[in-house]
Amino acid sequence: MNTGVRVRISIVGVVVFALFAALFARLWFLQVASRGSYAEVAQANRVRIVPIAPPRGRILDVRGRPLAENRVARAITVDRRLKGARRRAVVNRLAVLLGTPVATIEKRLDDKRVSPYAPVPVATDVPIEVLTYVSEHQEDFPGVRAVPLAVRSYPNGRVAANVVGYVGEIGPDELSERKDEGYALGDTIGRSGAEQAFEEYLHGRPGAERLEVDARGEVVGHLSTVAPRPGQDVQLTIDLDVQRLAEQSLSQGIAAARDAVDDDDDRHFKAPAGAVVVIDPTDGSVRALASNPGFDPNGFVGGIPTDKWRWLNDRDNHYPLIDRATAGLYAPGSTFKLVTAIAGLQSGLITPYTTIDDEGVYRFDRDDPRWSRTNAGGARYGPISLSRALTVSSDVFFYNIGGDLWRWHRRGDPNGDALQAVARDYGFGATTGIGLPGEAEGRIPDAAWKVAFNADNPDPRSKAENSVWYPGDNISLAVGQGDVLVTPLQLARAYAAFAAGGQLRPARLLDRILDPSGEVARTFAPGKPRPVPVPERDTILTGLQGVVSDPKGTAAGAFAGFPLDRVPLAGKTGTAEVQGKQDTSLFVAFGPVGAPRYVVLSVVEEAGFGAQTSAPIVRRVIEGIEKMELSEIAVSAPTAAGN
Amino acid sequence: MATSLTQGPAGRVELSDRRARRLAMPLRHVDLSLVVATLTISGLGLLMLYSATRDRLERAGIDPFYFVKRQGLAVAAGLVVMVLVMVVDYRKLRDFWPVVYGALLVPLVIVISPVGSQVRGTQAWIQLPGGFQFQPSELFKFGMVVGLAGYLHRHRGELDARRVIGALALAGAPIALVMKQPDLGTAMTLGAIFLAVLTVAGVRVRHLVVLGLMAFTGVVLVVQMGMLETYQVDRFTAFLNQGSDTRDVTYNLDQAKTAIGNGGLTGRGLFHGPQTNGAFVPENHTDFIFTAVGEQLGFAGSATLLTLFAVVVWRTWIAARDAPDLFGVLACTGVVAMFAVQVFENIGMTMGIMPVTGIPLPLVSYGGTSVVATFALVGLVVNIQMRRYT
Repeated sequence: MNTGVRVRISIVGVVVFALFAALFARLWFLQVASRGSYAEVAQANRVRIVPIAPPRGRILDVRGRPLAENRVARAITVDRRLKGARRRAVVNRLAVLLGTPVATIEKRLDDKRVSPYAPVPVATDVPIEVLTYVSEHQEDFPGVRAVPLAVRSYPNGRVAANVVGYVGEIGPDELSERKDEGYALGDTIGRSGAEQAFEEYLHGRPGAERLEVDARGEVVGHLSTVAPRPGQDVQLTIDLDVQRLAEQSLSQGIAAARDAVDDDDDRHFKAPAGAVVVIDPTDGSVRALASNPGFDPNGFVGGIPTDKWRWLNDRDNHYPLIDRATAGLYAPGSTFKLVTAIAGLQSGLITPYTTIDDEGVYRFDRDDPRWSRTNAGGARYGPISLSRALTVSSDVFFYNIGGDLWRWHRRGDPNGDALQAVARDYGFGATTGIGLPGEAEGRIPDAAWKVAFNADNPDPRSKAENSVWYPGDNISLAVGQGDVLVTPLQLARAYAAFAAGGQLRPARLLDRILDPSGEVARTFAPGKPRPVPVPERDTILTGLQGVVSDPKGTAAGAFAGFPLDRVPLAGKTGTAEVQGKQDTSLFVAFGPVGAPRYVVLSVVEEAGFGAQTSAPIVRRVIEGIEKMELSEIAVSAPTAAGN
Repeated sequence: MATSLTQGPAGRVELSDRRARRLAMPLRHVDLSLVVATLTISGLGLLMLYSATRDRLERAGIDPFYFVKRQGLAVAAGLVVMVLVMVVDYRKLRDFWPVVYGALLVPLVIVISPVGSQVRGTQAWIQLPGGFQFQPSELFKFGMVVGLAGYLHRHRGELDARRVIGALALAGAPIALVMKQPDLGTAMTLGAIFLAVLTVAGVRVRHLVVLGLMAFTGVVLVVQMGMLETYQVDRFTAFLNQGSDTRDVTYNLDQAKTAIGNGGLTGRGLFHGPQTNGAFVPENHTDFIFTAVGEQLGFAGSATLLTLFAVVVWRTWIAARDAPDLFGVLACTGVVAMFAVQVFENIGMTMGIMPVTGIPLPLVSYGGTSVVATFALVGLVVNIQMRRYT
């Protein structure tokens, strides 16, 4: 062999050697030098995580009765991995069996919200015969299973719906916000009420099933299962019995008002809506929050039909989804006189012995009739003191306080704002701490508010005129009229603070959190009370007791026959005028006077005097709490000119 | 050597006729390491084939040994062919090279006629009775080696232009036929054999440059004229743009690299390749079978396989160096080129250092014709090696 050939063979040898060396080097780099990163990719490649939704916690009343729970529904699920002709055949058979259109089932099967590795529920609450048929004909229904499915359920229907709220499916925006909290597509989330407010306890933590899959997504193995942590039960301070009583009484009162005729315009009261609040003044616990009109939260489970949703949000139906107890804003009318009385006493303007001669008319300025006011119904009470003024609800007495305080305000005396200061002390103009979504703050008007409110007025003259805090503003406020707005819960809480001897407590709805085992996980103690001024409590109390017990008391008629000797009560009527509408009827009472255990408040829109509609509602609720025989609510023409 | 020698009259060491013949007996000079390495690779190949396809076949309800049985049959056939090739003196093959070349070229023409059958756009198979097929292009590798070596073995010194053109015609015709199928991988292998044989035969540098330019022009023309399928161009582009987001195109490559990387030093263990058994890697029993080796046996296993191939190539190179005539040198060189290119391209593409082309890993990838052809070529090398003293 000549040397030329040898040299050339060697060249080939060198080239081949280089190729093999390159392969070895690359192999080392991939498998040894950068091992970890590829192992991770491979892991992510083959593992699919199927979330297991945690059962949602229940919502219980104060005695452990369920307000919201999970019902086991018989559902039919279809395996997503069913494909092609087999799937078509199965879907067609199911459609016939369930009486559902094929398209509906197909749509659910293609629903992106369900993990492709989880069976898709195509029908819930399936009749037992259908389930039996499916399980007896498994060969015709491959991939079809009958499974128990947890469905949110509200066993009491409409009762306490405004407090409990409802659930819905998590939206895409919320999902991206809450992804770290363990939410997945298609998850249930609280949409209002306690369901929304206490979501963090109710939701629980989802479990996960880790599956090994191949490139086509076929499951080839089961790696592990982490069981979900069920949501915790939330126990509220609501007492289902009292709640039911409050709601029944409210709807009875509304029905009765609609039957009655308004003296002012000789028409039936419209009484479109109302609220009843029952709270415990000793610790601020809310026992009942009734709101009318209401809704059935069961209608929201599994998605609410559009027409139904539209109906619930229609003005003509008076927005049943709004909880009027916490989000309804009302002029308090004469119920606000408690604040005015305390402001008058607190500022030193009046004493329990101050007497005013009520001739039926109040004139702030003899030369300026703009600020003159008369008593409702033109009543004249003669010389009266504070306690009497409360009992008979003399407007003139309180107009005087409002007017005189305005003068102090004009002089720059800080006591001139006593009305607003006391109102804020008693929790008006701020949320109550109940924590329900959508709670309104209300409004206590003052000079600064008026300026701010008219800041955007484009007409300089009108702006200048409307930005002034006039005597009339303070005079109206003194009787709960004008620009003041309160929620029923705020009003009840203010009376609770007075009943408790000057202790304003946060409204308490959440009693405790229970683990699924029933163990108490956390107790929510009553909030720290804030002391509020209660000057001359006895004088005011006498006046408020007179409202129900004195023959001239504004609610005496409504409480005729009530055993006040056994269960002494104190209360106050309110009749708020609303521009262009019939009067709002308010009544608030607490008892027993010696050691108050409850404050009951009723507000009914367009239902006349406080004594006409609301006082009978409150009476009936108190009768229920005191385990007396319940009286029938009848709205009659007022005997006294009680406002 | 421990053979006893007798002292001749002139003081020269002479072998007795009988002894000399016995010493030169071909069977004594069979390169055992080459044969053993070849058989070990085949055995390992069968094992990996089983490990890579078992789960998939079981899930599909097919006999998990389906591929292994068929490949085993091919290995047995390959052994028979190897022995047949060894028995005939290679000098007969050398003298009758046009017959061998012509006989193997015929099926290559037939396969692109309507008789051939298409699989995934490539018309590379001829159906045989009994559910078997064979791939003429694979078998032609043997024809290419014998043909080129036979044609060139008579010349001395550097190759003149006439010889180069003759060799080009011999190699070009089958390459064109294979490209027509189109089977880019095999065409590449044939081209590499041609190049290596020509180099060792003594091609002039300027001829080589001209050939190179022609090859380049040819490639450009092929691409420009759209003779390649889109997927083939895409694969090449994917190779150039590794790590880009075009998941569809780089998918094969990413999955293959992930599988091999996932193996680490010692591998995930036989039958425990989530990447390869889960069929994330496509073609994991044919072109991408090395990913199964990499994932399941790790660096230890894949380096062993690579070493076995290196042994085969090294022993073949030794056979080329020691061959008694130019035919032997060139034929062995062709086999060296065949092994080196197929191993480098196949394993290289799974590791992302070569573009993805359909090319089997000799003796490991599933495919009967390739196995038989490889055994035939190894047989040819053993044949040349063991007859170097006769």
